[in-house]
Amino acid sequence: MTKLIVEDLHLSYDATEILKGVSFHLKAGEVVSLLGASGSGKTTLLRAVAGLEQPSSGQILLDGKALYDGAKDINLPVEQRSLGLVFQSYALWPHRTVFDNVGYGLSLRKVPQAEIKQRVQKALDQLDLGHLAERFPFQLSGGQQQRVAIARALVYNPPVILLDEPLSNLDAKLREEARAWLRELIVSLNLSALCVTHDQTEAMAMSDRILLLKNGKIEQEGTPAELYAAPKSLYTAEFMGSNNKLSAKVVSVEGEQVKLAGDGWELNGLARDWLTAGNDAQAVIRLERVRVVDGPGDNRIKAKLITAMYLGDRWEYLFHQGGLRFRAYGGEPRDAGDYWVEFPANDCWVFATA
Amino acid sequence: MSSTTSMRVPLPASSGNAGRSREWRVWAGFGRWLTIAIAVTVVALPLSLILFQSFLSAPFFMPNKTFSLDAYRFVFDDPDFYSALKNTCAIAFGMLFIAVPMGGILAFLMARTDLPGRRWLEPLLLTPVFVSPMVLGFGYVVAAGPVGFYSAWWMSTFGTEAAPWNIYSLWAITLIAGLTHVPHVYLYASSALRNLGSDVEEAARVSGASPFRVAKDVSLPMVMPSLLFAGVLVFFLGFEVFGLPLVLGDPEGHLVLTTYLYKLTNKLGIPSYHLMAAVAVLLIMVTFPLVLLQRRLLRNAGRYIAVKGKAARQHALPLGAWRWVALAIVTLWLIVTVFVPLSGITLRAFVSHWGVGVPLLETLTLSNFTDLFENDSLVRAIVNSFGVGILGGAAAVACYTAVGFAGHRRNDWGSKLMDYLVLVPRAVPGLLAGLAFLWVFLFVPGLKEFKSSMISIWLAYMVVWMAYGMRLIQGALMQVGPELEEAARSVGATRGQTSRHVTLPLIKSGLLASWLLVFMIFEREYSTGVYLLSPGTEVLGALMVSLWATGAVDQVAALSVINILMVGAGLAVALRFGVKLHD
Repeated sequence: MTKLIVEDLHLSYDATEILKGVSFHLKAGEVVSLLGASGSGKTTLLRAVAGLEQPSSGQILLDGKALYDGAKDINLPVEQRSLGLVFQSYALWPHRTVFDNVGYGLSLRKVPQAEIKQRVQKALDQLDLGHLAERFPFQLSGGQQQRVAIARALVYNPPVILLDEPLSNLDAKLREEARAWLRELIVSLNLSALCVTHDQTEAMAMSDRILLLKNGKIEQEGTPAELYAAPKSLYTAEFMGSNNKLSAKVVSVEGEQVKLAGDGWELNGLARDWLTAGNDAQAVIRLERVRVVDGPGDNRIKAKLITAMYLGDRWEYLFHQGGLRFRAYGGEPRDAGDYWVEFPANDCWVFATA
Repeated sequence: MSSTTSMRVPLPASSGNAGRSREWRVWAGFGRWLTIAIAVTVVALPLSLILFQSFLSAPFFMPNKTFSLDAYRFVFDDPDFYSALKNTCAIAFGMLFIAVPMGGILAFLMARTDLPGRRWLEPLLLTPVFVSPMVLGFGYVVAAGPVGFYSAWWMSTFGTEAAPWNIYSLWAITLIAGLTHVPHVYLYASSALRNLGSDVEEAARVSGASPFRVAKDVSLPMVMPSLLFAGVLVFFLGFEVFGLPLVLGDPEGHLVLTTYLYKLTNKLGIPSYHLMAAVAVLLIMVTFPLVLLQRRLLRNAGRYIAVKGKAARQHALPLGAWRWVALAIVTLWLIVTVFVPLSGITLRAFVSHWGVGVPLLETLTLSNFTDLFENDSLVRAIVNSFGVGILGGAAAVACYTAVGFAGHRRNDWGSKLMDYLVLVPRAVPGLLAGLAFLWVFLFVPGLKEFKSSMISIWLAYMVVWMAYGMRLIQGALMQVGPELEEAARSVGATRGQTSRHVTLPLIKSGLLASWLLVFMIFEREYSTGVYLLSPGTEVLGALMVSLWATGAVDQVAALSVINILMVGAGLAVALRFGVKLHD
């Protein structure tokens, strides 16, 4: 069942167009992430769904009911949309206790006091905050504040919960734990969630589907695996994962097979774009796909190892070959010197240079 | 964790039909537009009356009035007008050249160096801002006038015929006006300097600059916008000064535009409202552009501060032996601008008479104060002043808050209108505003009864200080992060509920601080009440102006001390609770 539908949404600040026709669906019980660089419009899109920004045209439907419809001049004010919104800064009201922060939405809905008490307590218990009800926000740690913000957005059972960079205010160590906790919460409560993030790992870990935004448009939409393993554009390929980017000339194209040549090297790759022999092209290959091998062979290049960096769980190598610079991962320390490096043809995606 | 099974709770508003909720929203918006309409009326009505009156040939209540330019013609033919204009310009430029460098230096010494005694100097530095210029003027006359305490002391000590200074000369008036406006510059320059992070200075130090090079190349250029703003402010205040030239300029007949306007009151034997209106229009034509310029500069200054470094830790610049020289300069300034007038007026309030050769100890008395309480109008003045400060101050803050909310987080033409509207009263000197309100109460049918009630005084005060009050309120509102309000909206609160439940509680302490500052400003105010003074509407400031004219120095001195104590009480409370005295 589709919960939220956004159709051809446009939004501008003054003369600059921030959203240039965005459409997507959010199904019940699904987590969708809006991923993109800063300025891509992801936060604006979320705020437009919440009703905090005014679109210029398009539609936003919730359970079939219009929250916004440019053609029919419908624009429900924020407070009547009944969505749950978790702010990046949490936006807890400093003059209210945790209990009052969470209970505010219920008292606005004229829920009887006794029921408010019971429901707030239940929400706080669910998030392991039961003992903190009488505290004020400034007396809580960052992680606790985040959970209060989530409890506040969940307590009146909104049909969809919107999360704006929910993890970015936590320190790096806490963030990974919080990510797992948040995913577990969303799944176990069977929430429908729309989440904004700029961190691709976070987006992949948290969501069922990802919308990658670029300059106010959806660049690619799909499951995390689709975006990571089958990018349709150079932008998507580069945005996801850690990549080597090689500039080269197309030597020949045969179906999906492409032969590339650079300054003293030749590689076979997989065409992911419309290519013509003789034109410039970009090859993208994930760092973890590049392999250091024993000797020469197909799709292998001899390169000079400049340095090896220890990352704890693995090593990262930096290679130079003529004008080419690329990196690779490996399991063991290596001394500087010449090595053979393999670029598996199926992992070497070739895009035309725009 | 259990999955949620409870039913979704719809908002009461969204359960009704859409038409009803829309109707409700129209009513909510109505309150806002009503606020805007009232604000426009109370600001625009008095002003348009001034303009209207200036084009009449006689006061508006006269039957034989006609539209004409006679008033302007009269003013432009009056040699006194040109002399007043010349003096005003001299004083304004003098103030600019005295106050800006001194204020800048003072700010640098206080904010950036290890000047001894900075903690207790700060409140003293601000005294001239909060003490009425009338009181300072009286103080200078009784302390350093031809027969003042210090002049007498000088004459008997050095055996001269007269003191070597003459505080009634134009030079002295300019100097005193300049020195008493140093704190205005100091306030802006020091807050800019404090906002400036040490890191930008440290970066210069690391690159090899000496402390004085740092000040010259980094700190001062970065606060230049603030100094520029303060300069325009002081120049503008130069056109508004009234108390000092009224008291000090009178003996030798030095007029400035405001005192010229005041003296016009009875120039032709009958109230010459049309002449006064013409002068008022001319004055506003100078001050309003200056106010607009200030607004521009303040915006730019803010933009400059946006690139400040982290204002975390600041290291004081060690002055070495120079610190004592610096302290001596600051102390000298304090003696001349604070100690001399205030000690003079206080001493005067406690003696029955004085002169060369009179031992002061034998003339000490409390009768100046006890006599006050036998005079009904003086007692009323004290009660009224407290009332207009405490109750009126609270009511004014409530009005400013309403206006503030009408423009808060909106970006339509209504909020833009309010933005400019609150600037308008700023350009109208208090004396003119009081006059304009007098006309409103005379002119508008049905308001006559209020003319002799404190409502008229309060309304005039409220409008005159609207720009100041709005700055306080907007400062408090800006402290509330927009996401705190958006969070309330997203959980289902309307605009009104958000304001009541989130914004208002969060700015509560800001509002209390504003109340305190408005109290002090209302106690200090003297010019706005001058024309509204009538039995029942006596306030200290305006009453002192009229008493001084009758030569009742005993009463004026005692009232001045009471006035200083009122403001001082407010200042003490403000310091006790750590209220920021400026933005």
